[in-house]
Amino acid sequence: MLSNFLRGPHWSFRALLVAFCLMPGWVLAADMGNCLLCHKYPGLSRIDEGGNMKLMFVNEDIFNTSVHSKVKCEGCHADITKIPHEPAKPVDCLAVCHIIEPTSEQKFSHKSVKTFMDESVHSKVDKEGNLKKFNEDMPTCKDCHDNPLFRPLAFVKKVRPGIADDAMGRCRVCHEKEDFIFRFYNHITTRLHKSRSPLNVAQACGKCHDDKELVKRHGLTVMAGSSYQETFHGKAANLLDEAIPDCLDCHVVKGKSVHQMYGNDDPRSSTHPDNRGAICNSIDCHPGASVQFANYQVHPMFDMDKSPVVYWFTTFFYVLTGGTLLPLMFILFFDLLRRLFPNASFTRRR
Amino acid sequence: MAKYPQIKIINNEKYFFRFDMDLRIQHIILAATVVILVLSGMPLKFSDAFWSPYLYALFGGITMAPTVHKVTGAIMLLLFAYHIFWIFKVIYLDHYLPMKREGTYTIGRFAMRVLKLPMVPNLKDLKDIIDLMKYLFYYTNVRPDGDEYTWKEKFDYWAPFWGMFIIGASGLIIWNKELFTQIIPGEFINFCLIAHSDEALLAGLFLFIWHWYNVHFSTSVFPMGTVFLTGYLSEELMCEEHYEHYVKVMREEGYEKEILPPHGGGHAPSCSDHAPKSSQRQSSPENVSGTESSEQSVKEGGAAV
Repeated sequence: MLSNFLRGPHWSFRALLVAFCLMPGWVLAADMGNCLLCHKYPGLSRIDEGGNMKLMFVNEDIFNTSVHSKVKCEGCHADITKIPHEPAKPVDCLAVCHIIEPTSEQKFSHKSVKTFMDESVHSKVDKEGNLKKFNEDMPTCKDCHDNPLFRPLAFVKKVRPGIADDAMGRCRVCHEKEDFIFRFYNHITTRLHKSRSPLNVAQACGKCHDDKELVKRHGLTVMAGSSYQETFHGKAANLLDEAIPDCLDCHVVKGKSVHQMYGNDDPRSSTHPDNRGAICNSIDCHPGASVQFANYQVHPMFDMDKSPVVYWFTTFFYVLTGGTLLPLMFILFFDLLRRLFPNASFTRRR
Repeated sequence: MAKYPQIKIINNEKYFFRFDMDLRIQHIILAATVVILVLSGMPLKFSDAFWSPYLYALFGGITMAPTVHKVTGAIMLLLFAYHIFWIFKVIYLDHYLPMKREGTYTIGRFAMRVLKLPMVPNLKDLKDIIDLMKYLFYYTNVRPDGDEYTWKEKFDYWAPFWGMFIIGASGLIIWNKELFTQIIPGEFINFCLIAHSDEALLAGLFLFIWHWYNVHFSTSVFPMGTVFLTGYLSEELMCEEHYEHYVKVMREEGYEKEILPPHGGGHAPSCSDHAPKSSQRQSSPENVSGTESSEQSVKEGGAAV
């Protein structure tokens, strides 16, 4: 009967209809306000006041595998109360949302992040509470975070990442709701490793820390992202090594959050000269390394003023390479020419 | 000597002894390790290039390729150590002991003999380079008369020698950085990385362009020179690259009458525009025009001019 329904004119439309009806219920769970009525259309977009094209399309499949999939649209877009709505205001990530945090049974909020951030090197205000110069450059939530997708690990004799059915089976012993099991499995496994690969982290930090103007205006000594990529760590990250240290592994104090980074001159900072040795020779990285091991320049700059020795050392090899290869290429080229045109001549005439 | 006759005759073609089995095996190991090391190392140096993940995956990706690279590097370093041992063995057995036996040993004479080892560059090499330039710019049709080992081969010897030393030493330090930085400062690792990767790029380009051109792609050896497998070089190539040594060996082995004219027929009287030069160079192959066959080829060579 279903196959008959799918034949004939407009069969693709009917197939879509069937697919829609067969969709699992949890897919629509977050869309209590029926926002997808409009936002499910891929072309939905508008030009804002600044002349920028804004894409309004929400891909349900992707959203539902993201960490915020259980949060209702209105949970973050609190200014929207009716449909159709006015242009939405930017989301305030510190808003108290409707989700109950299970350990404290309080309403959940990211507010503690702000207290951490205000203490850190990335805060907009200095110790006295005055606004810093160029405070508009300092990162806010959305400069580093998008809506992260679940990155499930696999347990139970599996090496590929993704949902491990064996593990899910263990959940089902006590828990009943499939939706709950799916989400908690993903939530926990995602939190057990970093939500970004080392390469992603380096790219996120590099957005500002590789910005020449920004680096200059804040008096930073290195282009952090590009110089990281000159080291083995950065190169391995480029080749998608998940275990290689990225920015956060060295710059975040062990046991603290990424929001509590401090400047190199702050004694609380993990990268303060007195603390550096302890990062490198941690048990997970280079156990047994001496303190002077940490003198290794993890941000080597090819810059005559900033690291003259690295500059001249590299230049020596450039010159050596050019000085060796160019004359040989020159000989090779003329050797080939001499073989291809054995009878040509500048001096002798026939 | 008896083991490797200077000239082997197979199907009426003469083949000239170049490298014994020991050296050929050393070369094969070197060649294999270099190729593996370059292929497993370059994706890391150019980690953001589009091809690097694919090439790296061939060696097991970031989890395995570094191990492949280290093991191969260790094999190459063992080879390097063996080669050093081999040099000392040659000096001791072929130079030191005979001098002692003959009672001619003095430090000075011994040093002179060591300086005349085949891999040591000399003034003849400089002269050959200048002569090659004249040849390449059509100033003359005479290729330089290379000796047993030409400047190209000496370059091809010393470049990897220096390269293996620099890359090997820096590689060992990077490999065992925790151990080495007990003594040396951490900044030194930066220099090792620069030296390791930049010198490797130089070595790779040098070998895969220059060396492969000379032994694979050049029109006289294409598609592949076989001396690295057989240890013997054909008469034609011997004349082209090692004419001085060729004449010497031919005389020593009693083939004086069969000596071929040099490449391009440059020594023949027919090449009149360089008459003073060729007469000055007559010293070694004055017998060139002696045989009929060589006269024939002289004419052909001359006609080509």
